[in-house]
Amino acid sequence: MSTALMTTAAEQALGLALPHRRMEEWRWTDLRQMIDKPYPPRQSVTARDADIDRLLKASPFSKIAATRMVFVNGHYDGKRSKLVNGAIESRAVASEPVLQMNQAFATDGAHLVLSGVIDTPVELVFIATDATPRAIATQNVIEVAAGASATLIETHIGEGSYLSNSVTEIRIGDGARLDRVKVEHDSADAVHLAHAHVTLARDVTLREFTLTSGAKLNRQNGTYNFTGEGTDAKVSGAYLIAGRQHADSRLVVDHQVPHCTSRELFKCVMDDHARGIFQGKVIVRPHAQKTDGKQSCNALLLSETAEFDAKPELEIYADDVACGHGATSGDLNHDHLFYLESRGIPPAEAKAMLIAAFVGEAFETVEHDGIREALADYAATWLTYHRGKRP
Amino acid sequence: MNLLDINNLHVKLEDEDRSILNGLTLAVKPGEVHAIMGPNGSGKSTLSYVLAGREGYEVTEGSVTFKGKDLLEMEPHERAAEGVFLAFQYPIEIPGVATMQFLKVSLNAQRKARGEKELSTPDFMRLVKDRAAKLNVSQDMLKRPVNVGFSGGEKKRAEILQMAVLEPSLCILDETDSGLDIDALRVVADGVNALRSPDRAMIVITHYQRLLDYIVPDYVHVLSKGQIVKSGDKYLALELEEKGYGEYSKDAA
Repeated sequence: MSTALMTTAAEQALGLALPHRRMEEWRWTDLRQMIDKPYPPRQSVTARDADIDRLLKASPFSKIAATRMVFVNGHYDGKRSKLVNGAIESRAVASEPVLQMNQAFATDGAHLVLSGVIDTPVELVFIATDATPRAIATQNVIEVAAGASATLIETHIGEGSYLSNSVTEIRIGDGARLDRVKVEHDSADAVHLAHAHVTLARDVTLREFTLTSGAKLNRQNGTYNFTGEGTDAKVSGAYLIAGRQHADSRLVVDHQVPHCTSRELFKCVMDDHARGIFQGKVIVRPHAQKTDGKQSCNALLLSETAEFDAKPELEIYADDVACGHGATSGDLNHDHLFYLESRGIPPAEAKAMLIAAFVGEAFETVEHDGIREALADYAATWLTYHRGKRP
Repeated sequence: MNLLDINNLHVKLEDEDRSILNGLTLAVKPGEVHAIMGPNGSGKSTLSYVLAGREGYEVTEGSVTFKGKDLLEMEPHERAAEGVFLAFQYPIEIPGVATMQFLKVSLNAQRKARGEKELSTPDFMRLVKDRAAKLNVSQDMLKRPVNVGFSGGEKKRAEILQMAVLEPSLCILDETDSGLDIDALRVVADGVNALRSPDRAMIVITHYQRLLDYIVPDYVHVLSKGQIVKSGDKYLALELEEKGYGEYSKDAA
């Protein structure tokens, strides 16, 4: 990193340099500039029980998960966690450095070993309570054993001003299936930085969905390494952002072996001055013949001042593959709106229906009915709360 | 009292300096069925869109009164709640919105606007089931997104189903026969005829006389260059079928 740059207050507080726009992968999300106040790490804060319980209840999945690990301000909360013995081996572990910031100040994290067929969803809840501005970091390791099948929910929720850094390493064994749903619902004054590193073995099925709606500044990285043949991964996401929110997702799908399928679908809704970014890269290594990889992102801009940038990339070194990408961006379809209104539906309600239908396509990746319905409810609430009766 | 009074209506496209309707006058009483026929480009579809309130048109002169109120002052959803229904020539496909949900939200939005109680889900289901069966609309179609993947005939049946559920007082059928084979046409026409009633009027817009064999009108009007140039009874339609529109296209020039 350049030493010519002046160190910012945020960098001083963190004790490390932040990425900036002259680094290609960070061109739209210049953390040096955008993290405009210090978030010192390792702050010891006291969380009120009432705050924690309220935030836990606000999780869209509070009634769905059977096994649940709760992290409050980066620390494992055993009292509020619910661990089931038997099929799931779960424990909170001390962190292990993976990424630079995480390495510097990660506190706790989950280490889950999922084996056998686990019928009810497992939830990891990361809560931040309102206290002095600070950086919180957690590091998680999820191992899905060969032949196992599980649904994992990851919920991020909070109040106040904080920077949350969440690193998750996921290893999925031969013939296993993982359904992973992440909901990013951090406080409106939060910064959310995440990195998921996923390694997929042979004949794996991965269904992943991320809903990005909270935090003023969001950057989520995902890397998906295909290391065994016959694997099928669908990675999808939705943005519901407004005000001056900023959300940037960067996915790298790396096909290292033949005969795998990957699909990425992102449906992004931006209102007011919000800015969404999607950077998706599909790499097909020389031996990865018969790869079938497609990515698409669709943006819905609800105001003239909202913005969306897409950077789809294909890096293909094999010659017998089917790969493609597509990106679209636009406002609501006026013919659709007129049709709904001509049947008596008022404009605000007609718009809400069309927005819900737009993001709903990405929810289809979620096969668990209860979770999918909770996501639809979340979207409906967002539409009411953020858009209200706005025309 | 007339249900609908269109008086000397002049309409142009908002973005272009091209007038489409040039002094159209038409009065419709409850219970009447009016057919509007005319060559392509005579303004038939524009009339239907202006009545439903679609954007993109500018009324430069004249008035439209519906149930004694100024229709042109109302938003599209207000017109619907007041009782105007347009069956589209090309029904719009709306991915992601289930037909059943769409029908329920529409009906209850109209009821709410009229100060009526919203229908409960079981009552609504019963109503739709009953209406759908008569129109040969399957449960599967109701579960699918609005018009998505429907055949031409299915789309038109779905339009008539919406009409049957919403029970408007003025039905405007825009080229409802287009794209239908004779069997599909019969099903749609039977559906429309079942909705004929003393307090409901219909404006049937069509290029061909064929539809009027099944939906027999009380009046037939010939529209040419944005004006009604001739009116008569159902025999006028037969005459047009025989002679074509050539005469009217020239006369109104």
